[in-house]
Amino acid sequence: MDADRGHPGGRVPLRELGDPDPGVRARRNSIRKARRISNWTAAALVVGTGTAAAALAHQAFPAAAPAAGTAGQAGGAGTSAGTTGASPQTASGPPVSHSVATTTASGVTVTTTTTSVNGKTVVTQVRHAPAHTDD
Amino acid sequence: MRITAPTLTCAAPWQRVPTGDDVVAVAERAALGTSARVAVWPPGSIGVACAAVDDVLAALDQQASRFREDSELSWLYGAEGGVFMLSDGLAEAVGVALAAARWTGGRVDPTVGEALISLGYDRDFAAIDQQRGEPSGIPVPAPGWDRVRLDGPLLRLPPGVRLDLGATAKGVGSDRAVRAVMSATGPEGGVLVSLGGDIAIGGTPPRDGWPVTVAEAPDDAGPPLPQLVRLTGGAVATSSVTCRRWRRGGVILHHIVDPGTGRPTDGPWRMASVAAATCADANAAATAAIVAGPQAVSWLTGEGLPARLVGDDGEVCCLGGWPPVSGLPVPVPSGSHVYAGARPPGGAR
Repeated sequence: MDADRGHPGGRVPLRELGDPDPGVRARRNSIRKARRISNWTAAALVVGTGTAAAALAHQAFPAAAPAAGTAGQAGGAGTSAGTTGASPQTASGPPVSHSVATTTASGVTVTTTTTSVNGKTVVTQVRHAPAHTDD
Repeated sequence: MRITAPTLTCAAPWQRVPTGDDVVAVAERAALGTSARVAVWPPGSIGVACAAVDDVLAALDQQASRFREDSELSWLYGAEGGVFMLSDGLAEAVGVALAAARWTGGRVDPTVGEALISLGYDRDFAAIDQQRGEPSGIPVPAPGWDRVRLDGPLLRLPPGVRLDLGATAKGVGSDRAVRAVMSATGPEGGVLVSLGGDIAIGGTPPRDGWPVTVAEAPDDAGPPLPQLVRLTGGAVATSSVTCRRWRRGGVILHHIVDPGTGRPTDGPWRMASVAAATCADANAAATAAIVAGPQAVSWLTGEGLPARLVGDDGEVCCLGGWPPVSGLPVPVPSGSHVYAGARPPGGAR
């Protein structure tokens, strides 16, 4: 709890890293969404999330209420599983005869860089062949 | 005076891919160290679809890339354990990875991050010196997915445990991208999204299903000969040990690591393609099949998953109703193991 004192938002400096300069701290707080929190804060959030999950399990809230945490993620993703077509659908689209994609190992890699040279932007794409040859 | 030009990575532009069918539009671009492809009908939706996929890819890269210093996952790497509040997106991705580990009996394990780094896969694959002379580091077995606890957005990570979401993240990305495209384009029409060959579809598929080629590489000519299958629902993903290989000290390594040993797998299968209800399920199952080695057939059969395995000798083994010949639809089981089961291993009960 001591770690939370003086940090009402629950955001506390990383002990290991000390108190960084304001620029670094601002970047951490504004850009990076993952942040370390104290054990007490974590415990409070765990309890809160567990309570919410239990309430949802008992349908104390409307099913559409957003649920923080894994229960909500599982529910949302479960819905998405249906969206992506978990069971074969009745095909009523147009006839397509040629392959549109290849399921394959992700061995082809492409690096795209944008370089500014004398005020002009140069986009470079380097395509790397699959490294499946052994020699 | 020599001027060092600033360099930054950026989203590659989409390029239309002619397929020979005017009733669908297909576009492709580089993404996530591999390629992303979108196919839609009606073809007029392609612009909106690509924009929707762009948003998903940008968010996923920001959340789960091991190779971006500013990603959430990289931030976890630097913190050496602790309790973290994750964004919703990374929490979902980690939750899926942990659920996949539970489902596959630990054959895919998101705690293989340190093992991959030790083997030399410590940067974007395109940047790896694939012929470096010195040997790789000592193999590091995965600490174990059950040491990681996720409760909603709260992640408890023991010190020294580094996550790699490679066995599930592309599948998650394809699933998300399909949802995003359907949301952006409306209920009419259909979409297929492929991230590095891990494919999800949504909406109404073309008559007889989306035609999809199964091959070890996009330009693969075999053997075995590439197969064309029809996808009418769900997803299909492929894992292979023949790509993403590099050499350390004369030893050829690849990116599919056995969590138990920390070494690249050395089983009888060089490629596994699996159909499942979602792309994250298919992605995890394909990798698990490679890791399972001799047990792959029994595990896939027990799970009721249609699969196509290619042995080291090129022999093809079709399971679970996967069509033995080209041109036929792949049956897709219903129900997801990794989304519906995405709950913390030791967290809230």
